[in-house]
Amino acid sequence: MRYKASALVQGLVRCHDCGRLSRLDAQLPHCPVCGSRLHERMPQSLQRCLAFLLSSYALYLPANIFPIMTVTQIGVTEKHTIIGGIIALIDKDMLPIAILVFVASILVPLLKLLGLSLLLLNVHCRWQRNAKLWTQLYRMIAFVGRWSMLDIFMISILIAVVDLGGVSKVLAGPAATAFAAVVVLTMFAAMSFDPRLIWDKQKIPR
Amino acid sequence: MNPNKLDACPQCDLLLRRIDPELGEKAQCPRCAYLLYYPRKHSIERTLALSIAGLILFFPANFLPLMGIKLLGNSHDGSLISGVIGLFNEGLWAVAVLVFVSSILFPLTNVLLSLLISAHLYLNKPNRFLAQWMRWLQHLDEWAMLEVYALGIIVASVKLASTADLKLGLGLYAFIALLLITAMLASSLDRYLFWQRIARLRS
Ligand SMILES: [Zn+2]
Ligand SMILES: [Zn+2]
Repeated sequence: MRYKASALVQGLVRCHDCGRLSRLDAQLPHCPVCGSRLHERMPQSLQRCLAFLLSSYALYLPANIFPIMTVTQIGVTEKHTIIGGIIALIDKDMLPIAILVFVASILVPLLKLLGLSLLLLNVHCRWQRNAKLWTQLYRMIAFVGRWSMLDIFMISILIAVVDLGGVSKVLAGPAATAFAAVVVLTMFAAMSFDPRLIWDKQKIPR
Repeated sequence: MNPNKLDACPQCDLLLRRIDPELGEKAQCPRCAYLLYYPRKHSIERTLALSIAGLILFFPANFLPLMGIKLLGNSHDGSLISGVIGLFNEGLWAVAVLVFVSSILFPLTNVLLSLLISAHLYLNKPNRFLAQWMRWLQHLDEWAMLEVYALGIIVASVKLASTADLKLGLGLYAFIALLLITAMLASSLDRYLFWQRIARLRS
């Protein structure tokens, strides 16, 4: 049993791009206003989300183990992992910046992975409680994802600026590719998850 | 039941009566609290003006040096585009493409599409690509990340300031202006209104 109030149960499909409602029985494959393809729900939402999610879990480990950048200064070469970079910031008494980088590069990706896994579990197991809170969790995950690019952008700026030949040079490490892939893949995972599925699985309230 | 008079919440599919909200009002979904409409004053005019300003600032922000350092008599400065080139030269082409797309290409496309759409709506000129442009604009939006790049600049400059003499470049001021313009652009573009106007121009 589903909510009577849902547009789909009433035979209406919402265009994902422009928001216009179309009748299901009209058998229109495309929206009359914007021409985009109509879907009752996002196609293969759960399968796609799971596939992106598993790939990002797999890449999360190398992203954190391998060095993300190499700093050469007057002949001395140091390799930094993501965590190493944060510890270096703390050592230099730059705690606020260290916290910022920690939140963006470690906390946000981890919470995103866990949150999306929980959302998938929620729909799969048809959890009946707090549908509104789960939808808000989804919104938060979709919002914060982009901020993890912080580390990648920072490295790109350091590479551009610190290029003094033998004196000082910054190079990106192999973890940069892995980390960038984690950010992109979790963004894809969040985009392919359809939050309406949470509501579709709710039983009618008394 | 006429579908034109109804609306559905994009995140919980609750069926709603289509309303024309007043300026300054916010309409939230009663079931999941999604922000449904949020009409803004002079949305089309503001979008048009801001996208022209953004286009002008775009080139200095991307090609002039953001900042430079001086260390042991050597100095060097870098711009947005030279970071991308640096990544590419190190063989990290995937990261280079990602940085290029999210800090240069998509912000530019975003400004250009906003300009095209708002100019057509402002002049009431129908164009068969309007809906297509609007769809692209919505899909690109997620991947244009100037505000994250700005945070990257802050972290990078704090790191650099501790080891070398840091001087700020002209490009940085242009970039900050561009960032403000694109943030205002995003908040002035009323998607609901734009789609209504596009639908009206078609018929
Ligand atoms: Zn449509
Ligand atoms: Zn809703």
